[in-house]
Amino acid sequence: MGRKEDRAIKRHNKLEKRQEQLEQAGKFKLWKNNRPFWGATLTVLSALLVLYIPLQLYAIAFVPGSFVFIGLLFGGLILILGVLAYIYPQFSTVFGVITIFLSVLSVMGALGGFLIGTILGIIGGAMCIGWQMEDVNASSDQNHADGKRASNRKVFRRDKSTNINTAGSS
Amino acid sequence: METGMAIGLIAKKKFFAALLGGFILLGGLAAAFGATGTAFALPLGGMGDFYVTFDKLEGTGFQFIPHVGETGNSDASPMVRNKIADATVYNLHIYKDLKLPTGNWVRVNITASKPTKIKGLIQDARFIDANLKFNDLAIEEHNTQDFSKNWGQKANSVTITDAKIVTDYLFQSMVNLQGAKISVEDIKAPDTSKDK
Repeated sequence: MGRKEDRAIKRHNKLEKRQEQLEQAGKFKLWKNNRPFWGATLTVLSALLVLYIPLQLYAIAFVPGSFVFIGLLFGGLILILGVLAYIYPQFSTVFGVITIFLSVLSVMGALGGFLIGTILGIIGGAMCIGWQMEDVNASSDQNHADGKRASNRKVFRRDKSTNINTAGSS
Repeated sequence: METGMAIGLIAKKKFFAALLGGFILLGGLAAAFGATGTAFALPLGGMGDFYVTFDKLEGTGFQFIPHVGETGNSDASPMVRNKIADATVYNLHIYKDLKLPTGNWVRVNITASKPTKIKGLIQDARFIDANLKFNDLAIEEHNTQDFSKNWGQKANSVTITDAKIVTDYLFQSMVNLQGAKISVEDIKAPDTSKDK
């Protein structure tokens, strides 16, 4: 048996295990499963850190043309992107790319939340970009034996309809 | 008919590619700033008194207003606020004396050997010892209870020489520190100019 097939089987077993866990999971875990939860959480956390410095300097932050104002703007936008990633997970790649871009630029005007905010923003953005939904077929013994991977795609489903019909999809 | 479940997970390849891209972008920005010695929105404060000395400062758009602010020992201390729109400082030296747990004193120095260019300077000072020269100086008084608007000084340009300023808060929208050096030295006793 080749290495690739071995890895695919391991991966499939892992997915099945997670599937089993999710079948018994509560509402929150199901909600978490359907969106880039950790990516969005890190993004929100990074936004709060980026916003910290401009909010400390609020007295001068609203002076037009001030770099602090730019920091406030970037921090606010990152916060919005983090919240949107929870609500619209299907656009998580776009949100992730913009989050990384804004986090890096927030070094200007907000010192990137003492740089910790920038680093958290990059990690959170990368997690949003890397996030995807993967279908696991309950009766995919054939695929299992062939080491065939389930199809990767970014899909959004309502929490209640996590069980999907995959007839003819593989 | 088959039934399955969609599981949300993070694709490692995509994640690491995006992470690498982000850090390359950050490195590029840091390299660009490092090469020019430019920092944006640099605040320095909340650590008590520190000293700013320089040989000469040439600035435009000068404003001098009364201010009450936080120092290392008090929440509200009387001080003056200097605002300069554009300034070039020669031989800038910023230092802060710190007492170590062992009882010894150390001085943290930030020096710039080449002229430092600053935009949007805001400085809260408690003590100023310098030679000042103004162009088009105007002193205004207003009949108001608001102490910060009661009186103020404005000048189109200012030249300050041989200055020693006890500062509590410093903010620059943009600063270009050329030839900057940061060093720490042992000292016998702290600077007490502020107590004079």
